[in-house]
Amino acid sequence: MVHSESGSEEKKSSNAVNDLLTFNAENMQNNMKIIYYSRTFLSIIGGVVAGILGFTGLKGFVFYLLLMAVTSVGLVAKAKFSTQTYFDSWNRVLLDGFLGGLMSFVLFWTFAYDIVHIF
Amino acid sequence: MALGFAIGVFGVLILFHAAYSTIQYRGLLKITEEEFSGPPFNVVIELSLGLVLCMWAALTVPGKFLSIHPDSEENRIVSLPANLDFMIFNHRGKVFPVEMDLKLKH
Repeated sequence: MVHSESGSEEKKSSNAVNDLLTFNAENMQNNMKIIYYSRTFLSIIGGVVAGILGFTGLKGFVFYLLLMAVTSVGLVAKAKFSTQTYFDSWNRVLLDGFLGGLMSFVLFWTFAYDIVHIF
Repeated sequence: MALGFAIGVFGVLILFHAAYSTIQYRGLLKITEEEFSGPPFNVVIELSLGLVLCMWAALTVPGKFLSIHPDSEENRIVSLPANLDFMIFNHRGKVFPVEMDLKLKH
């Protein structure tokens, strides 16, 4: 009897729209850390590739946007297309670490461009 | 896990090799005084291969996603958390007589 009560309580706290009021915060932090590491590493690699290819100006930023879009698709695929099980909102999977990755991207882009094309 | 790491290192090595090829190609262009419009085709292939390998490594090396539902199978709470609310100090052990000359047993 106690089990059925606690089961219905937890069902009440999870609405239809990605809104879990009670969730396991430690696992949530673990998932956010994984996203952060993946995006940062791919921003650095993307910066090096953009520098080697000789992109300048807008083309480089478009390349970064494409790279982040592919990364988002990859992360959603890693979460087996059910982000509700692993995150509490869509925005976290798609947009977290985007700006921090942008700065790493520009840093390594200019770095690689200088090494390959100027020296 | 180690395989993903090795693939990531291999992807980075491919990128370094592509960078070195592009540097040599630019040296060649300086000699013939042509404009740099883009790296040669095989360098582009090498870069996309390195990018694909690094992307695979970036998605698999950091670890698996863990479920955040409190009522899923692998999130079962099987032991009480070790905080002071659950520690009981006011139990019946206090009625045992205290032995004043206890020695350590070897």
